[in-house]
Amino acid sequence: MVVKSKLPTYNLYIGCSVPVNYPNYEAAMLKVAQAFDMELIYLEDVACCGSPNLRAFDYMGWMTVNARTLAIADKNGYDIVTPCNGCFASLKDVYHHLKHDDETRTKINKTLKKEGLEFKGTAKPRHFVEALYHDIGIDEIKKKITKPLDGVGIAIHYGCHLLRPADVTEFKPEYLQELVEATGASVVEYPLWKQCCGATVLPVDEDLAIRLARDKLKSMKEAGAVFATVVCPACGNQLDLQQLGLKESYGEIYNLPVLVYPQILGLALGMDDEEVGLGMNRVPANPILDHLSD
Amino acid sequence: MIKVSDPVLIIGAGVAGMTAAVELADSGIKTVLVEKLSTTGGNALNLYKAFPTDDCFYCFEGNRWRPGIRKCFYRSALTEQPNIDLRMNSQVEEITGAAGKFSIKLDIGPQYVDPKKCTMCGLCIEKSKAFSLVSPQCQPQAVSFDPEIEDEGTAVAAEKCPTKAINLEAKGTKITINVSDIIIATGYHEMKPVNVDEYGYGTHPNIITQLELAQILDPLGETKGTLLKPSDGKPAKHVMMVQCVGSRDENYYPYCSKICCVYALKHAAILTQEREGVDVSVVYMDIRTYDRHEKYYRDTREAGVEFVRGRVASIEPQKDDSLAIIVYDSLLDKYLKFSVDLFVLSSALEPSPGSSQIIESLGLKSASGFIGATNPETEVVVGNRIYACGSALGPSEVPESVTQARAVVSKILQNRK
Amino acid sequence: MTETDETTGPPVTLIDAIDMSKLDPKFREKIKSMPNGEALAACFACSTCTAACPTANMWKFKPHQLIRMILLGMREEVLSSNEIWLCLTCYECQERCPQKVRVTDIFFDCKNLAAEEGNIPANVLALAKELLTKGQLYTVTADWEREDMGLEPEVPGLSVEAIKRILKDTRTKKLVGGEE
Repeated sequence: MVVKSKLPTYNLYIGCSVPVNYPNYEAAMLKVAQAFDMELIYLEDVACCGSPNLRAFDYMGWMTVNARTLAIADKNGYDIVTPCNGCFASLKDVYHHLKHDDETRTKINKTLKKEGLEFKGTAKPRHFVEALYHDIGIDEIKKKITKPLDGVGIAIHYGCHLLRPADVTEFKPEYLQELVEATGASVVEYPLWKQCCGATVLPVDEDLAIRLARDKLKSMKEAGAVFATVVCPACGNQLDLQQLGLKESYGEIYNLPVLVYPQILGLALGMDDEEVGLGMNRVPANPILDHLSD
Repeated sequence: MIKVSDPVLIIGAGVAGMTAAVELADSGIKTVLVEKLSTTGGNALNLYKAFPTDDCFYCFEGNRWRPGIRKCFYRSALTEQPNIDLRMNSQVEEITGAAGKFSIKLDIGPQYVDPKKCTMCGLCIEKSKAFSLVSPQCQPQAVSFDPEIEDEGTAVAAEKCPTKAINLEAKGTKITINVSDIIIATGYHEMKPVNVDEYGYGTHPNIITQLELAQILDPLGETKGTLLKPSDGKPAKHVMMVQCVGSRDENYYPYCSKICCVYALKHAAILTQEREGVDVSVVYMDIRTYDRHEKYYRDTREAGVEFVRGRVASIEPQKDDSLAIIVYDSLLDKYLKFSVDLFVLSSALEPSPGSSQIIESLGLKSASGFIGATNPETEVVVGNRIYACGSALGPSEVPESVTQARAVVSKILQNRK
Repeated sequence: MTETDETTGPPVTLIDAIDMSKLDPKFREKIKSMPNGEALAACFACSTCTAACPTANMWKFKPHQLIRMILLGMREEVLSSNEIWLCLTCYECQERCPQKVRVTDIFFDCKNLAAEEGNIPANVLALAKELLTKGQLYTVTADWEREDMGLEPEVPGLSVEAIKRILKDTRTKKLVGGEE
């Protein structure tokens, strides 16, 4: 118990997309957390964040659902971490709103009372990589790197909802950049680094969504990226899985492996490809494996 | 060699001219301040409130430590400072001679009312229409007399004046004075946009200019500050302003009149924030609320002023006195149709009528009709011992006029060390 | 009252003028009162939002035009527009706005108003139904994948009942209606 009290402890909000579409992301994250003695406790009885679609048609429903999740975390007071930009944006936005709007907070808490809950705002919602960056720190991470990804060019796709609106997300691009560089890899800058992957527009205009993914991949590839990294299942879906769609609709083959950040860090920490679930990536991650086996 | 005691001629007793006169006089230099009207203040007198402080013209702080602000004490200084020779209703007729020893022929208007005696009791105004008070704040503090209006009351007024301030027999005189330096502070004139026929100025009573609006808004004016339609004296609810009427237009004046955006928005702010139930639309090409005046733009947007980038397509007077105005909104690429009670034109600010004559007689440079600087680095120096300040150089705001006047004073003082 | 109809009217080329008196002046106040709508009126139509938008090129009404339409009171046109639903919610417009107008958030407000009036694209409505009936946007179809990674087959901790319960009292239920 003494040892355990020293561990940074978090409530893990896994969402619905990561466990369903990216079990490898979930597993890699858990293993990376373990490597740094981060204790992640799955939040129980929490609902899907619904974002951003729910926010679009039912603002109060969206607020209530996410306030409920925040209130559940308030019970033990540990910060919430999530591996998904969509969940992060929802939780962070609702948290921000409730912190700054007394009227809505009172209203929402009235509803939550029926569930035996209250939003207090003690447990802060955070993205898993931000917790890594601030609570573990680049220096500690570097100490544990056993298989540095020296010189491998990685293009970072942050995802819109990780970065913007900046006053709400409070996430700076440097965090992820330094995390990637900590593995020994080099960050490839590309012109469209800010641009959306297109995931959010999938339900209303699939062609547009594909087109956006294509622009993004093209920009990365042309800048010389060997592979790309994402920290969101929706972005991952667009950039990884959509490469199959692009082959179909545009006849273009990009062969750009897309790894979630914990996979990259896991490999650099010495985990093997199975441990971080590389086999589940749609675009085979051979280049990085070749590099590591060199 | 110029002596400290050599007098300086200042043409125009607006903001710039008054500032120059007072500051030179305070430095021990004799000044002759010539004003063609019966009260000082120039255009600023008619602005109701002036930016950037939104104070009424005569209520500006008198503190010297607030740079760029007109001073309340100018009022009394003009008549009480012994170094200022204030000549009202007067004009410069001829300038001869050379730098350092100009010879000036002045046409001094008759002084029907002696401001040193007048107490502004109002008795003469009751007796005759020929007497009027330009403003309770007028300077010199005296009523005005218009000899063109002849009624039987004038003689009674003169007789009954408790201080015997009225002299109906007063005659104008012509005098010649010698001065070392000349300061041109002749200001600007708001163009009467009669020729810009697409806006219909002069064809409908409810189509007015910004200066005319300022007078409607002035609590000392005819409507006591209530926004009423000139056509029928009923309240105006829907106001539309249009910017760049004759400015930035090669057919009229190629330059930007610079201050009309700010005072238009000053008026829009007064209308939306200090009057009940008035809405304002502003049709513009560019809003140029330069420098800190951007605040007027931001505040008026917050106050609900509707800004439409585009131009007026058509104006149709309606039977109920309103105007049906169609505006092309270039941002939306749509035509918008408004019902307007009062259509206010932000008309170009042009050089004062006498400006071209001064330029010609003194051989100065012309900058689109305004006085041009000899060297862009010393804007206020326009000739050998000839200076200009304020809107004589081009449209300028009040603090800028004051700053330029002080620059002129500084130049003159430097020459007399 | 005005007798504008009695005049000969504007030339034929201008017949499409939008009659300002027929627009809804309360619309801008409505949006201003909604979450993050406060700064709406600060817009000076510089069109930075449109320049920042990766997809506005394809839109009939560009972002700055939509904001203008809100300010003018063109409620119907805004709420029935496809554009508000095509917004990627990437926040590039909002982030670059020099007047701190929360453009993306305002489009979220518009979508809520549109949904309230029943203006909602079919595929988005389908998602609403999914959330109300299944309690999550994604459901596990290949639990062997999870098992392969050494994870529990079911999504851990996710309660489908809670969201269903909450959304039954909010607009989602109203949108989806009886067809659960």
